[in-house]
Parts: sequence; structure tokens; C-alpha cells
Amino acid sequence: MTLSTSNVDVERAHRDQLERRMPGDAGRPLSQSRGVMRTARILSTVLMSLWFALPFLPLVLWSFANSWSAPDLLPMQLGTDGLTAALANGAVAAFGESLLLSLIVAAIATPVGAMAARALSRRTLPFGRLVSVLLFSPVLLPPFAAVLGINVVLLRAWVPPELGVILVLVVVAIPYTTFSMRVAYAAYDDGFDEAARTLGATSRFALWRIHLPLIAPALARSAFLAFLVGWSDYLVTLVVGGGQLITLPLIIASSASGIGNESSVAVLSLSAVIPPLILLAFVSRARNLNPGKKS
Amino acid sequence: MLPAVIPVAFVVIGGVGTTLLQSLGLMPLVGAAELSTAAFDDTDELLTSALLSLSIAVVSTAIAAVVGFFTAVLIISGNWGGRIVGVLGAAAVTVPHLVGAATVGLLLSDSGVLARLLGVSPEAWPALVAGPTWFAVVAEYAWKESAFIALIIVGTLATRITSYDETAAVLGARRPARLRLVLFPLAAPSLLVASAIAFAYTLGSYEVAWMLGKTYPEPLSVMALRLFNSASLTARPEAAAIGVITVVLTAVVVAAAMLGLRRMRAWR
Repeated sequence: MTLSTSNVDVERAHRDQLERRMPGDAGRPLSQSRGVMRTARILSTVLMSLWFALPFLPLVLWSFANSWSAPDLLPMQLGTDGLTAALANGAVAAFGESLLLSLIVAAIATPVGAMAARALSRRTLPFGRLVSVLLFSPVLLPPFAAVLGINVVLLRAWVPPELGVILVLVVVAIPYTTFSMRVAYAAYDDGFDEAARTLGATSRFALWRIHLPLIAPALARSAFLAFLVGWSDYLVTLVVGGGQLITLPLIIASSASGIGNESSVAVLSLSAVIPPLILLAFVSRARNLNPGKKS
Repeated sequence: MLPAVIPVAFVVIGGVGTTLLQSLGLMPLVGAAELSTAAFDDTDELLTSALLSLSIAVVSTAIAAVVGFFTAVLIISGNWGGRIVGVLGAAAVTVPHLVGAATVGLLLSDSGVLARLLGVSPEAWPALVAGPTWFAVVAEYAWKESAFIALIIVGTLATRITSYDETAAVLGARRPARLRLVLFPLAAPSLLVASAIAFAYTLGSYEVAWMLGKTYPEPLSVMALRLFNSASLTARPEAAAIGVITVVLTAVVVAAAMLGLRRMRAWR
């Protein structure tokens, strides 16, 4: 009997393996649509893309419009008046404060969430279910209801407003970091740590050289979520911050409540949209380490 | 464990507890503490606001759930189109709600970008922003939360769903049948959880309704913040009372969602 391998495309198989495409992965001919369904799919793709993209359009158009009166389809005069007005409103300082606040929130909430997730994933924790519910509760809690109360507590305890904002935002971020790390730890193999320790690594060495590199992509995702919490917040900064912190959302809100500020609101909004998008691009490129895979 | 539990317990229990005490008149700014339910007395006003908040949350979450589910199906299909929708959806998730409100305002107002695109004059354009229908508010929530719901479904199901889908295809199931009998039941638990989160968020959120909504009647959060910032001494307990009502409403809806989730698991 002779075996022929002529119909096996080695190149293709290798490429598929590198991309980790398995039979049954998305985009295989089997579930590909044809005919009417194909048209429907393309149409719905266009509609969905419009649905998600359309709100970005005013930001881009208004950002570079010096004057743009009502019936005109496109800005009449392009320019940087919006940018100038935004800078005059203190955009740079607010951008800096937003960035600092979000980074601090991410820097605290990520390790705290990771530790909590590790403890929860071991399933030996007393009251594990109760703790899970408590850690998840800030997601469901109406922020204004908690903020009205905690504001009084923080004021009576003489906590500086900046610290109060950081504390509340860390708490809001903890559910996201904990549960995204929880997912990561559910797929984590303790064997790597144990092997390292068996081979004589100290626990510190095993943590830094084995454990952290393996969970790094998940940590990056968690940190991104925590960053978003700090970056998006308006209410906590407004009420608990008591005017001590002027972040980007605060000056966007104050500009937007005025009339005729469209282009400066658009510039400010655009500057609030871009940093998370850049981070998202980095985070989504972070791949899981694959021990044994040639890089 | 403790570094996470202590701050969360402090803010959640301390925050809600203090709000509750304030609403019952036990923590007045001045004067003696006295137990009273005076803050809950204006029932007409509270009921109007609660119904308004609930309707906004129900409508926008319903739209977001439908759009989010079909978006997830498109993304999971793995075509180039799905990839584009996935990237745009992820971009929408990162946008702060306040920025979303600002840009939806620029899009939907009577001299907004959509009116210009469609060539409708400002006079003929319906009052979508700050109008009687709360259209812009609902649109903003539906936009942001649909992206959120889609990404949650994709995140939990992307790896499992295609193999089931293909099995059904091999066994001869047509596309609508696969959608109804395979994709939807598999996605239903995460759809429910994500919708419950979106609903709770919408009910408790402030900035979107404040920026794009009418001044009267007010949703719960807007009324609470206005009372909180007002000079009147009786206003603080009233603001806190609204907070308590919102917490209770959220808890009821979340509990219902959890019951639904349990029944889904039992059914499997």
C-alpha cells in the first residue's frame, strides 16, 4: 500500500497551526452564508457598522470646524478654533489629571483584583460565594446612591477629596479586575509554579519569572478595564472630588452645557476617546504566552 | 483577598448604609436625629420619576439586548464584516458615557449632523434631544450598552459556539433554525447577565439623562443630584430617599435576572 500526501497542503496546515485555526473555528465554509442570506449578512454588517460608527462622526467633523451653520452638509470653514477654545478651557491640565487618576486607579485595582481572583479561584476561601457577591456588587449599585452616602462619611472622616475619589473609583473598578482575572485563573495551570519551585526557584523568583509573565495579558486587560473606569467617570469626581479634581469629563460637561461650543466640545471629546483606543490596540495585541512555542 | 474586600465593603455598605440613614432623617446636617419617613412623602413626584427611569432603562436595555445579540452573532461568524463590526463595537465600549452623550447630542439635535446628512431643516426636525420622547437618552444608552452586551456574549461564547453551530449545520439545520435553536439558547445566559448589568447601569446613571434629557419630569438620578446640591435643608434626606428607592429597584431587577438565570441552568 502506498500513502500519498499530495493532497495535504503542508504550508497551509502550518499556517493554520500558527494562527491556531482549528476545524470548526469561525469563518469556515460550512457555516458560510450564500445567496439571499449572504446579502442579508452584508446588509446587516453595514447597518451594524453604521450604528456603532455614526456617533463618532460629529466628533471628527466638528473638531475641525471653525464655522458650520445649520443646513450645510459639511463645515464651511476648517480650522483650529475648537482646539484653541479647548486649550483655553484648561484641556491640557484636565487631560493630565484624568490620565494620572486613571493610572492610579488601574495601578491599585489591578493587583488587588488579581489577588482576590487568585483567592477565589482556590475555592478554599470561607464564605467564597458571599465574597464574590460583595466584590461584584459595585457594578450593580447605582453610583449616585452610594456616592451621596459615602461623600458624607468621607467628609466626616476628613479624608482628602482626591483620596476619596481614588478610593471610590478603585472600588468601582475592583469587580472588573477581579472577574477578568478570575477567568484567567480558571484556565491557569498551577503546575508551572510548582515545577519552578521544585527546580529550586524561590517563591519570589517563581512569581516574577513564571507566574507574572504567564498572566501578563490578563493583567493588561484588567488594568485596561480599571483605567476605563477612572477615565470615564464623571459623577464620583464631581461629587466626592468637590471641585478639587478637574478631569476631562468635567470640562466636557461644562463646555457642553453652554451654547455654541460645539467645536471645543468635539475637540475635548475626541481627546477623551483617543487614549483608550490606543490602549485597546495595545491590549488586544497582547497574546497569551504559549510555553514551548517557537517565537 | 482582604485588600479587595475591605474597600469594597466600606464603600458599598458604608455608602448605602449612610444613604439609608440620611433618608430616614437619622443623619441631618443640623438639628437632632429623628426617625421619620418624611423624605418619602412626595409619592406622586417619586412615582413619576421612578416610572420615567424604569421606562428609559427598559426600552434602552431591550434595544441594546437585541442589537447586541445580533452584533455578537455577526462577530462570531468571523467574516471580515464581523471583524469590522467587532472593532467598531470595542471602540464604542471604550467611549465614556459623558462623551457619548455629548456626541449623540451633536448628532441628533435639530441642527445636528444627522439632520444635515438627511437634509432636514432644523424646523422640521423632531425634538430628539431634550424632547418629550427621551429619544437621544435612549439612543445613547442603547448604543453604548449594545456594544457592551455584544462583547460580553462574544467573550464568553466565541470558542464554544461555532462548533455547535457547525454540528447543527452538518445535521441539516437551516440558518433560522440554527439561530433560534443553537445560537440563542447558548448565548441566552450571558445575554441575560449582560442585560441585567446594562439595566442596572442605565437606571443608576446620571450624566446622559442630565445632558440629553428634558428638565421635567426628571429621572431618579437627576432629581437626586439636583436635591443634593440644593440649598434647602430638607432636600438632603429626599435625595437620599431617591437613592434608596433606586437601590431597591435595581435589587429587584437583578434578583429577577438571577432567578431567570437559575431556571435557564435547570432547563439545561
